[in-house]
Amino acid sequence: MSTYRVSGKGRVDHNRPVRFTFNGENFEGRQGDTLASALLANGVHLIGRSFKYHRPRGFLSAGSEEPNALVGVNRGVGRAEPNTRATVLEIFDGLNTVSQNHWPSLKRDVGAINDPLYMLFSAGFYYKTFMWPKSFWNKVYEPIIRGAAGLGKSPAVPDPDTYASRYAHCDVLVVGSGPAGLVAALEAGKSGAKVILVDESPEFGGSLLGEPDAEINHLSAWDWLLETNAALAAMKNVTLLNRTTAIGYYHQNFVGLCQRLTDHLSELPDGAPRERLWKVRAKQVVLAQGSIEKPLVFDGNDRPGVMLAGSARVYLNRYGVKVGNLPVVVTSHDSAWLAAFDMAQAGAKVAAIVDIRARVPNYFVKRARALGIETLCGWTISGTKGRHRVTSVRVNPVSAGGHVGPARTIACDALLMSGGWTPSVHLFSHTKGKLDWNDERQMFLPGARTEDSRCAGAGNGKFGLEESLMEGASAGAAAAIDAGFSASAGSYSVEGEVLCIGASNRELPSDGSASWAKAFVDFQNDVTAKDIRLAVREGFKSIEHIKRYTTTGMATDQGKTSNMNGLSIASDAVKRPSPSVGLTTFRPPYTPTTFGAFAGYNRGDLFEVTRKTAIDSWAEEKGAVYEPVSLWRRAWYFSKQGEDMHQAVARECRATRQSLGMFDASTLGKIEIVGPDAAEFMNRMYTNAWTKLAPGRLRYGLLLGEDGFIRDDGVIGRLSTDRFHVTTTTGGAARVLAMMEDYLQTEWPDLKVWLTSTTEQWAVIALNGPNARKLIEPLVEGIDLANEAFPHMSVAEGRICGVPTRLFRVSFTGELGFEVNVPARYGRAVWEALYDAGRKYGITPYGTETMHVLRAEKGYIIVGQDTDGTVTPEDASLAWAIGKTKPDFVGKRSLTRPDMLMADRKQLVGLLTSDPKTVLEEGAQIVLDPNQKVPMKMVGHVTSSYWSETLGRSIALAIVEGGRAKEGQTVHVPMPDKTHSAEIVGMVFVDPENKRLNV
Amino acid sequence: MLQERHPLKGHRISLAEGVSLVIHDAEDSSRFNLRIAPENLGAASKAFGCELLATIGATATSGGRLALCLGPDEWQLYAPLAESRSIETTFAALYASCPHSLVDVGHREIGIAVEGAAAVLALRSACAFDFDTMPSGTGTRTIFDKAQIILIRHDENRFRIEVWRSFADHVWGLLQAASREIALGI
Amino acid sequence: MLLIRCPYCETERPEVEFVYAGEAHVARPVDPAALTDDEWKNFLFIRSNARGTHFERWRHMHGCGRFFNAVRDTVSDQFAMTYKAGMPRPTENEIKEARS
Repeated sequence: MSTYRVSGKGRVDHNRPVRFTFNGENFEGRQGDTLASALLANGVHLIGRSFKYHRPRGFLSAGSEEPNALVGVNRGVGRAEPNTRATVLEIFDGLNTVSQNHWPSLKRDVGAINDPLYMLFSAGFYYKTFMWPKSFWNKVYEPIIRGAAGLGKSPAVPDPDTYASRYAHCDVLVVGSGPAGLVAALEAGKSGAKVILVDESPEFGGSLLGEPDAEINHLSAWDWLLETNAALAAMKNVTLLNRTTAIGYYHQNFVGLCQRLTDHLSELPDGAPRERLWKVRAKQVVLAQGSIEKPLVFDGNDRPGVMLAGSARVYLNRYGVKVGNLPVVVTSHDSAWLAAFDMAQAGAKVAAIVDIRARVPNYFVKRARALGIETLCGWTISGTKGRHRVTSVRVNPVSAGGHVGPARTIACDALLMSGGWTPSVHLFSHTKGKLDWNDERQMFLPGARTEDSRCAGAGNGKFGLEESLMEGASAGAAAAIDAGFSASAGSYSVEGEVLCIGASNRELPSDGSASWAKAFVDFQNDVTAKDIRLAVREGFKSIEHIKRYTTTGMATDQGKTSNMNGLSIASDAVKRPSPSVGLTTFRPPYTPTTFGAFAGYNRGDLFEVTRKTAIDSWAEEKGAVYEPVSLWRRAWYFSKQGEDMHQAVARECRATRQSLGMFDASTLGKIEIVGPDAAEFMNRMYTNAWTKLAPGRLRYGLLLGEDGFIRDDGVIGRLSTDRFHVTTTTGGAARVLAMMEDYLQTEWPDLKVWLTSTTEQWAVIALNGPNARKLIEPLVEGIDLANEAFPHMSVAEGRICGVPTRLFRVSFTGELGFEVNVPARYGRAVWEALYDAGRKYGITPYGTETMHVLRAEKGYIIVGQDTDGTVTPEDASLAWAIGKTKPDFVGKRSLTRPDMLMADRKQLVGLLTSDPKTVLEEGAQIVLDPNQKVPMKMVGHVTSSYWSETLGRSIALAIVEGGRAKEGQTVHVPMPDKTHSAEIVGMVFVDPENKRLNV
Repeated sequence: MLQERHPLKGHRISLAEGVSLVIHDAEDSSRFNLRIAPENLGAASKAFGCELLATIGATATSGGRLALCLGPDEWQLYAPLAESRSIETTFAALYASCPHSLVDVGHREIGIAVEGAAAVLALRSACAFDFDTMPSGTGTRTIFDKAQIILIRHDENRFRIEVWRSFADHVWGLLQAASREIALGI
Repeated sequence: MLLIRCPYCETERPEVEFVYAGEAHVARPVDPAALTDDEWKNFLFIRSNARGTHFERWRHMHGCGRFFNAVRDTVSDQFAMTYKAGMPRPTENEIKEARS
């Protein structure tokens, strides 16, 4: 084993080796390792190349804030995930990982040519450079830039995993299981409140996992952790969610949690979802998100082996891994000294502790000396060396006056840095909670809250363990009390705690040239201190503009390690204090989240509801081709013996016109309108007059919006004086019912009438063709079907094939037609019975395409296809459907607005192409003069266009400016192949006298 | 008489021992949507032979019939299949003195029974409301993933979903997915 | 997802059960024919588009089915109160009280 693993140390299981690969090389780690800790244990620091300059990069941190160490994980076909942070990726046997953003290999990368060309790639480089020639952008520059940039490769095949979601409600949600979060959950749990505790890590404990030496309530930190976790696990009212990230905090304490269920397992359980998105509504929220360490900004601070000091401490104490045998520590914060001490005690030779501050508390200096560590206080760091891992650092003394003295080089194999700690206020910021600037501590702290939430612990600026525990306890108890429970916070004491403080910095002083320094602020987007100052010099003063121009903080880590350094440099450059420069906005998700988690169950068959009629299964058996119509899938056409769509539709049309066709019309919306005021209500809603419609009769109804435009239409039957059976378009069913309810509830609550959706109560079979009556006559009981007794536009209740029916005599084809309504669960059986009985007439099932053709031949419109929300009854030649004597109906007043009366309004007309074989494209534009210059003046468009088998030629409907007055004129339709000419004609192509209907 | 087809006929999810969750197609019943002014509730209760409560969400049962108040003037009535005609006849007689709307929606909906100690967990996969606010013996219209349903809680661990027939497959598919997780204990 | 109190159900329910239905207290004129084109245009198209306190309609579509009114702050997205359709517009004091 390597010299970097410290046996017996940490929380990994030293007796359980785990084998994995990185870039094809075999490695061994320990159960409990992350990829980062396992690689570090093997002495691997080089983990990837940076985004812009392709600079070699190592692990900066040990947590989810990691900007550098992004890897690809390959778990087989479709399970290739890019950009996974190696610092949180749990290893398992067989894990296969690769580094990213390099070619041909991690150690030899051609893109690294960008690094020496550094001066070219300054802030705004892309904006400035690729301006000319303009035509090059789409074809040359952008593809190359896009190819060169990007982090990792996305998988090329669909994700085979499934994802889950779950709603939860609780009294207290605690985010973060560090000392503050743990005791908050404990205190709230003790009160009996329903508590959910979440942490992104596999283990609860947060910072305590890296601090085994602390003593809480006279127990060692890890014993106390064991006891506390056991106490929490024993509470039935507490839900513990590890491997779960609180990704977003929304209104009214609604918090999104992403739980990783299987990513850490070497064997995936069959059918197990990979992740689950929890949608939690909490009465009270306690945010104990902890804090994130700041890097220091100096030339070469991104070299592999340069790492946050606190993270090095976590690798040592939690994972049992020394990140180096000869580390140097550079810091402006006491806490890094503790990292140096721990490293030394674990056997590392700490070459030096360099502190930017001239004065450091005596306690630390003494202890360093006792351990034989050289201390350089009031020194700076001006550079690092080493190709794929740091080999030495360049440090200089700084005089009281700020003069940087001559450099000294110290050899090392790791550099641990600390610029202090930033409270994690991300979730608090999601709620638009105010952040207050603390000038003395140079940090933003949570201020006035907008939700029922509390911040506790390091995330609230309480960096001391005892103060953090105390605040967590009182926050947990207070949250429980506010949620309606009685609680009192217990007491927590920490023995011999050393409080750490520090100073804040911008770029560190250096004896080198600032313009050549590669002092990184944002490691993931490769933004340097120089870039930020350049942006300010070029006139960007607002932090939001500086951010977008330099892209600092805009990478997938959202600037967790870089925002504060970026802000203090920007505020220095614009010469305004930090709070007035302000922070950019933190937005959900807290860490990158898979699309799968957001989609949850809604993929594949469950992506969206697929509504199927009662007859759908029959159509499927007969090989129907489907088309989606709103949420329904509908049979489009029935292909027989290898027919293409054109042949199938032609056959279906011929059969229907010549003998008998059958069509599943079940998806039509249906509304039952019942009550003494039913007719009055109909009068007010629809344009037509209803009072005189006799029971047993049907009428075509036209529904407008209050703006006078056509919203819906349908055939409406009066079953009795007080009962109407309304049909709507398939897509309009829910909308029309909602509109009717709106008027009824809010405008006319005095009307005694009620509405019920019966769309799904009835299956509807449309029978059309000269033989339609002959087919059903022997099957119908209780209704006289003779033309005189049951003429066109009649409705009656009776039985068909022995089951109850509402039989409509109505036609959407122009042929003798019936619509057989039967209770839905009889739909298929009645359909089959009619099909069997119809064989002697060559009965032909047809789909929506044939329905469309047949209705277009008759000039019947489809709302939403031939109308688009700007079409009036007059425009659609439907003025006859307006009850002229009615004082009012929805939309009536608008019909006399000046705009509605203009002569050049677009009107629906028929079109016949000069070449009868040409079928125009639906949506094609119409022009009057085909020889005019592009862009041409468009006077309308084709709304419906088909091959009419009945006429042996094409037909079309179109909407044309002043169309009706242009009847007989020729218009032109430019299409990709050529410009076609067509004559404007009336809308009815077949049987304008309705002779075929009334038989 | 022709054969009826239920979309979920014979469907059943029953988890292995250790986890209590059974989901199956519920026994069919007749269903009516009743709309009536609240002041006529007394007459309607009499006609239905089961009290119609005025509190939204409240249910009352009597002799195999169940009335659920869905809105201020809306009740969903359930009764054994065979009683459908007689219910229509009784209400028709009431119409002249107490105008109302009684609409047969028996074929509009499909019943799904969700039962067992894990029932709430299964439902929470797709229902956004707080089940702690739903006492036994109440019902509510709500959203299950993307489908509108009526949910009735007979007791702590016994629910019935009523869903429009064309949405039933979607609801079933989701319940299947949720059951798999529960079976795996994940 | 918001929680919305339905004044008919008298409980808070998740937003997915509701649909938004435009500005409140825009009553349809009793006799539209009596309105000038301008007045009718104002009724049809002109809305307050408030920044801050907004009176609006919602419907408990997938619940009790009722339309009702709400006072919501369009900046913070917070509901101050909801009330049944047909009730008068709450006064400033009533809204203030509801918020506190």
